[in-house]
Amino acid sequence: MSPRPPTLRESRRYILVRVNPAGTTIDQKELYYAISDAVTSLWGDAVAGVIMQAVVAAENGHVIIRCLRGTEKELTLALSTVTACLDVRLALRIVAASGTIESLRDRIRTGKPVAEPASEIITGSAGTGGAEHGECVFAEKSFLIVHCNGQKVDVIEKGFKNAHRLFLTKSDLENS
Amino acid sequence: MKITDAAVFPYPCGDTSVRRLALEAKTLGFDSLVAMDTPAGSFDGVEILSGIIVQDASIRDVIARVKRAKDSGSVVSVAARDNGFNRATIGLKGVHILRGIQTAEKTAFDHVTAKMAADNNVAIDLDLSVLISARGLARQRAIHRYRDVLIFERRFEFPVTLSSYARSYLDLRAVREITGLCSLISMDTSGVEKAFDAVGRVTTPRISAVRVVS
Repeated sequence: MSPRPPTLRESRRYILVRVNPAGTTIDQKELYYAISDAVTSLWGDAVAGVIMQAVVAAENGHVIIRCLRGTEKELTLALSTVTACLDVRLALRIVAASGTIESLRDRIRTGKPVAEPASEIITGSAGTGGAEHGECVFAEKSFLIVHCNGQKVDVIEKGFKNAHRLFLTKSDLENS
Repeated sequence: MKITDAAVFPYPCGDTSVRRLALEAKTLGFDSLVAMDTPAGSFDGVEILSGIIVQDASIRDVIARVKRAKDSGSVVSVAARDNGFNRATIGLKGVHILRGIQTAEKTAFDHVTAKMAADNNVAIDLDLSVLISARGLARQRAIHRYRDVLIFERRFEFPVTLSSYARSYLDLRAVREITGLCSLISMDTSGVEKAFDAVGRVTTPRISAVRVVS
């Protein structure tokens, strides 16, 4: 099949989305299913068929989602109802919309770099309640620091059974 | 105008500390939060209001708990039940918000209750977590119920609050996203702005239009 001439192509828009919590591994296909489910559930098959959403890229904690021009509002509304992907809790924060993928990639590059998991570890006594490297104490329990970005600190309770993430700040650790 | 989320549940009810919720709420465009069972304070320019929810209690227990919370400066909410209970609750001095109207029975909120809410300056809360995380029939029922409440709101002009019921910062939504979600229940932008500001209005005591000078 030969490609359509530009005048006969449908105009598309691309939406840049930041994935929270930071450091979440994104499977593009599974995220597509989660978004597709959210769109269909909210708007029904008829509108979902018009939106034609697709996950076109996932990089550096961000995702670029494609839709038909004019359906951005419906898609962004549906994106705010995405709460999990493959039983992993997440939130999609809309950053920008554009007509080209490249401008959104520029936006990712010029924006604040998203730190990789455990890229910045709180060390020593400052803010860790005197715990050892990469560990902290909160509410009289020991936690492992999995992500730290500015004031924000994500921790997981030490031990095999409890892998539940807690979302704290450095001030919380200093005061505990 | 203060943009307030009328119910969040910080650690230990949820997985996010109140400071972190404040930090995230600020980036999402909020000025204040009503945090349940948390002392009031201010973090990163976001005001934290202490909140209390009274649920699964008889009207006698509600009266006792409201009396206890009267001088604490907390935002007092009561979970809705049947129509008689709701009318009695709305009539109580010290109750600020009636919650969970979408889970109460169909006849729990009628025009008489709406008129009472307007007269007593009690807000009716709309739980946005149902619109965000529920699917299918549960969400459809909530949309239907909220639309019904908003019909009364336009007629009687009682306050309406918006709550995310966030137990994690992942459950919080940006002000723009909430405005979009409220369009599903035919609430326009000015209505959303009014609803975000409603917590401040119900917690501030009404100044009488007439002052008696002896």
